[in-house]
Amino acid sequence: MAKHSLGTSLSQARNLHPHSLETAIGWRYVWATTVCIWLLSLLPWRNWPVTPDILLVVIAFWSFHQPRRMGMVAAFCFGLTLDVHDAGPLGLQALLYALVVYGTQMLHRRLMRFDLLRQAMHLLPLFVGAKFVTVLVGTFLVSAWPGWSWLPAVLLTVACWPLVGWLLLLPQHRMDDAGTGIG
Amino acid sequence: MQRHVTLRLFRHGTAAEVTLTFLLLVAVALLVTDALWKASNPVRQTIATVVYPFQRLVMLPKDALTAFDGWLNAASLIKTESEALQRQRIEMAQVATRAALLTAENEQLRRLLGVLEKAADRPAVVVEVLYEPSSSFVRRIVFNKGSRAGIAPGMPVIDESGVVGQITRVTAMTSEAAMLTDEAVSIPVQVLRNGLRLIAFGSGSPGKVEVRYFSSDADIKDGDTLVTSGVGGVFPPGLFVGRIDRVERSPASGFARAEAKPLSHPERNRHFLVLQVSLDADQAFLTPGAAAPAVEAVRAPTTGK
Repeated sequence: MAKHSLGTSLSQARNLHPHSLETAIGWRYVWATTVCIWLLSLLPWRNWPVTPDILLVVIAFWSFHQPRRMGMVAAFCFGLTLDVHDAGPLGLQALLYALVVYGTQMLHRRLMRFDLLRQAMHLLPLFVGAKFVTVLVGTFLVSAWPGWSWLPAVLLTVACWPLVGWLLLLPQHRMDDAGTGIG
Repeated sequence: MQRHVTLRLFRHGTAAEVTLTFLLLVAVALLVTDALWKASNPVRQTIATVVYPFQRLVMLPKDALTAFDGWLNAASLIKTESEALQRQRIEMAQVATRAALLTAENEQLRRLLGVLEKAADRPAVVVEVLYEPSSSFVRRIVFNKGSRAGIAPGMPVIDESGVVGQITRVTAMTSEAAMLTDEAVSIPVQVLRNGLRLIAFGSGSPGKVEVRYFSSDADIKDGDTLVTSGVGGVFPPGLFVGRIDRVERSPASGFARAEAKPLSHPERNRHFLVLQVSLDADQAFLTPGAAAPAVEAVRAPTTGK
C-alpha cells in the first residue's frame, strides 16, 4: 500500500515536472545534506570493511531526484576527495561515483515508476556492477585482490537506499501534507 | 508537447555520455599518474590541502573529548606514568652501565682492528596518528605532521619497540605511512643471533613480514629476532623489526622463505617517531662517487662486521 501512495506522489511529481519538484527541494537542501554526509564520511567509522557507503547513496539519490542539482562531475569530485582521504588509488572512488550517477540518471524514467524499495532492487545490479569494475581496476593497479568484503558492503549500501531516500524527502512530504509544495 | 519532452531528454542523454566519457578519461589519467608518481602527486597534494581543514573540523569533537578526558584523568595518569618511568629508570640504569662498558670495549676493539665508526645521531620528529584511512586496497596510517615539520617520503617510522613502517606520501600538514606489513615496504634486516643479512618484505598474510630469497640451508629458525642491518642507508642499523615464527624450506627450488611477526605495535600507540634520515642514500648507491657522509656513517658499522 505504501508503494501505491508513494508511486502516486512520484507520478504526480513527474506530471508537474520540472518546476514543482525543484522549487519544493532547493539546491541548498540538496548540497547541505550531501556536504553533511561527506563530512561524516571523513570520520573513522568507515574502517569496518563492510560499512555501507552512505555518501554514494545520498549522491545517487539526489542525482536521480534532482538531476540538475547533482550531476556526474560533482559526484566525481566528491569521490576524488574520498580517494585522497582514504589514501587509496586516486580516481577509483571518483570513477565509482561517476558510474553510479550515470547509471542512476539512465534509469531515471524507469525508477520513477517504482517506490523506494523497488528502486533499490533495480539499482542493485548497477551498484554491484560499478563497484565490481572499480575493484577490478584497483586489483590491476595494486596487483592484489582485496577479498570479497566489498560485496556485502555494496548490498548494505543499496539496502540503505529506501531509508536514505525517505529521510531526505521528509521535508518535501511535510510540504506536501501542508499543501504548500506540489498542488 | 510530447515531442518537445522527448527531444530534451535525448539531448540530455547525449550530454551525459559525453560527460561520462570525459570523466572516465580523467579517472584513468589520474589513476595512471598516481601510480607513476607514488610519493608526490600534485593533484593529490592539492586535494589533500583542500580537505585537510574539514578533516580537522570533523575530528574536533573527538579531540576535545580526548583533551577533556586527559584533563580529568591528569592526576592519576601522571601518577601511573611516573611509577612506570621510575621502574624503567632503574631497569635502564643496569642496561646503561652494561652498554657503557660494551661501548668502551667495542671502541677499543675497533681501534685495534682499524675500523672507523662515526656516531649516527639523527634528528627525529614525534608524530601523532590523525586517522586510519579505510581503503580496501592498502593499509596506511595518516599522521598529523607533514613536509612543514621536515618529513619526507621514505623516512622510517618507529615506536619504542622497533620499526613501524615507512612514510609513503607527504602533504604540507599530514604524512602517510605504510606499515612494515604492507607490500610497499621492504627493509634490509639482519638476524640478531648470527648477523645473517636478509630483506624483509610486507607479505600477503595480514600482520606478517616475509623474508625471502635466501638459500634453504641458511641458518635461520623460529624465534630468531630480525633487526635492521643499515644496508641501503634508509633504516639506521639495530632497530627491531620482527620475530621469526615460521620457516618454509623448499628442497626442490633450493630457496626458503620465512614469516616474522612485527615487534612494534602500531595499533596500540598514538605517538610515533619519524627518523629524519638523509634520503640521498638511493642516489649514493646509483652513483658511488657521490656517497653522502651520512650514508657512510650508517654503512660503516655494517661493513666493519
